[in-house]
Amino acid sequence: MSDSKNGFGIIFRRTWVSIVRNPVCWMGFFLLPLFCFLFLTSMMEDGLPTKVPAAIIDKDGTSLSREVSRTLAGMQMVDIEAIPESYTDARQLVQEGKIFGFFLIPENFQSELLSGRKPVITFYTNMTYYVPASLLFKTFKATALYSKAGIAVQVIQQVGYTENVTPLLNPVSVSTRPIGNPWLNYGIYLCNSFIPGVLQVMIFLMTCYTLGMEIKHGQSRRLLQLADGSVLKALTAKLLPQTIIWTVIALFMEAWLFKFNHFPMNGSWLWITLSQLMFVLAAQGFALFIFAILPNLRLSLSVSALIGILSFSIAAFSFPVESMYGAIGIFSWILPVRYNFLIYVDQALNGIDIFYSRYWFVAYIIFMLIPLPFLTRIKRAFADQVYVP
Amino acid sequence: MKTIKKYIRQLWIVYTREFSQVFHDAGLILFFTFLPLAYPVIYSLIYNPELVRNVKMVVVDHDRTPLSRKFVRNLDASQEIRIIGYAPDLNEARKAMNSHDCYGIMEIPQGFERNVGRQEEANAVMYCDMSLMLRYRGFLVAATNVSQELGAGITTQRVDEIAPLATTLAGGDMLPIENISLGNLESGFDSFIMPGVLVLILQQSIILACGMAGGAKRENRRRLGYNPDNLEPSVAMTMFGQMLCYITILLIPVVYMLHYVPMMFAFPMAGSVADVFMFALPLVISSIALGFIIQGIIRQREDIFVVWVVTSVVFLFLSGLTWPRYAMHGFWRFLSEIVPATWGVEGFIRINTNGGTLAQQHDAYIHLWILSAVYLVIAYAVQRWVVRPAALRESRKVIDG
Repeated sequence: MSDSKNGFGIIFRRTWVSIVRNPVCWMGFFLLPLFCFLFLTSMMEDGLPTKVPAAIIDKDGTSLSREVSRTLAGMQMVDIEAIPESYTDARQLVQEGKIFGFFLIPENFQSELLSGRKPVITFYTNMTYYVPASLLFKTFKATALYSKAGIAVQVIQQVGYTENVTPLLNPVSVSTRPIGNPWLNYGIYLCNSFIPGVLQVMIFLMTCYTLGMEIKHGQSRRLLQLADGSVLKALTAKLLPQTIIWTVIALFMEAWLFKFNHFPMNGSWLWITLSQLMFVLAAQGFALFIFAILPNLRLSLSVSALIGILSFSIAAFSFPVESMYGAIGIFSWILPVRYNFLIYVDQALNGIDIFYSRYWFVAYIIFMLIPLPFLTRIKRAFADQVYVP
Repeated sequence: MKTIKKYIRQLWIVYTREFSQVFHDAGLILFFTFLPLAYPVIYSLIYNPELVRNVKMVVVDHDRTPLSRKFVRNLDASQEIRIIGYAPDLNEARKAMNSHDCYGIMEIPQGFERNVGRQEEANAVMYCDMSLMLRYRGFLVAATNVSQELGAGITTQRVDEIAPLATTLAGGDMLPIENISLGNLESGFDSFIMPGVLVLILQQSIILACGMAGGAKRENRRRLGYNPDNLEPSVAMTMFGQMLCYITILLIPVVYMLHYVPMMFAFPMAGSVADVFMFALPLVISSIALGFIIQGIIRQREDIFVVWVVTSVVFLFLSGLTWPRYAMHGFWRFLSEIVPATWGVEGFIRINTNGGTLAQQHDAYIHLWILSAVYLVIAYAVQRWVVRPAALRESRKVIDG
């Protein structure tokens, strides 16, 4: 009995030593995750990429068209980089990447407008870059609407109409209330999903890496011996140090997001903290499952990398699950990080009752249990101790 | 003359030896074939529906008039929104949203229609879930379009009544506004993100393969066909031989990724094929050179997974695909400039999607060649003073042991 207790202690201690000694472990456990945390939050610090480079083509050159140009130049979101002569010139600027869109005022704009012949204002946005193009779209549209309103006001006031004209110009309007993120901040939107995604892929990789290395370096049989032939004990002793490291990193991640960066935290700290703790165990469970199915260093790492990187897309951090093909969207539900995201949305962003998130926590528990029936496969691989390059 | 012959011989030895090594290494085959062949397809399939349509919305209508009903009908008819039902009050609607049944609520106040009749402003309030920007964007676009369409007719009619000048207006919108999307004509998400991701996958599979090959070299050279007792080809010739071998192997994956994948998924392909491949050459060379540099820190073949896989996320953001490069802060901008994929993504998108020419991408193209040259020089130093001595040490160990 005391011997087996010792065995656990020996593996546990040896794991710490091997982590401390291997520079790759330093990178995998600490440097890379922390760098990504810092990188992602600092990259999107400003919330929105303002001052989108754009251009305006004024083919009319009248007082009215110049007024439209001035309105556009005064908008907060754009930076008028060029005033090209023609559509072709402007398109070339787009192709060279100098501008992300342009605004076109047609010939005879003023005279057609005043004679009621309905000139068309056209704006072009380069949709190969979504974010700047969307911001430009909004600004261009607002400019066109303001100009339209301004012209209508002039017309009306010329005939001596003095009442408040605003409702006249905009009889039906919609005010938006973006819940939880009224600033439309991209950092809040992307960091809260991508940073746990980074943590998940690193947990997957490091779990498979450390277990596979035991086999590669011919240590796995000894590991089983030390644990009295109990694979559960061997794995617990081997993975517990990692659980401790990941828990510290996950708690730091939580503090980094919600304390240091002041991302919205409208719910209870308790649930978010619980979610991070369970997320670490769920991701480890999932990685253990991968390793049990493919107890081969390279294959398990390949699958971990594949699933870990695809998670950023399939877990629907940007493109919603309900818009994906059913046969693909279904895979979002087998990823631990998906539940981390859903709990974050419910509990931190929207701050709703925990009742609505109950299923997500159950999913975590399933991930923790899923490797258990397959542990015998790991035992066999540990005992065989064959390294396939 | 003799030396030239010698070098060509060395190059040939390395070139052929690398082939046999790649094809005897399941890990390298995976990186050179499965990754570039399967990954783009999986990725494109995820986003292939392109547009976010019919996002669910609940209506709270306190007005219950023909105008409010028309407003809701028009919203439902828009591509972006689907009205899944009415809720008696905001609380009930909020419950539906909390239960993840809908992602937006439109609240129409009492007196919506009356306000329009009185020539006052009628204002509805839309609450949006902000977990995903694409849903919010859809809601915003649809609500703006529907309210303006509804309002434009009313405005023209009124202006007509008040101002004699405007009687020439035939009705309808007096100043129509038109938006045209360039490049990605349908504004689809797949067509937006995939061209960039293809370039990233290309760079990453090259570097992963180089890293793994480097680890393998250090671990067990004898088994891989090196004989440490023989004189090796020079460092430079080894590098060029390997590079030529990798470029040969990559020919099919590159053509497939940069030409056939966009074709299969009907991404916009406006550029010239020749320009695309001319542009891809320095991208491949600089990626290989970067891979040779990374070999300096890879001691075992599997290390590359741990060290490199997660950088894909970093490179995705550095490329400016989601967060434009003009808005990046100093250091990150510098970092983005020394990553081959950044220029690769920019140039490929502008040639392939926006239909630009290679000449218009001189900035990115020159940068890629500069990166290739600088990285090759650094790679030479790394190979000569780090990788080769380490590998020789390892093989001596094997012999002595």
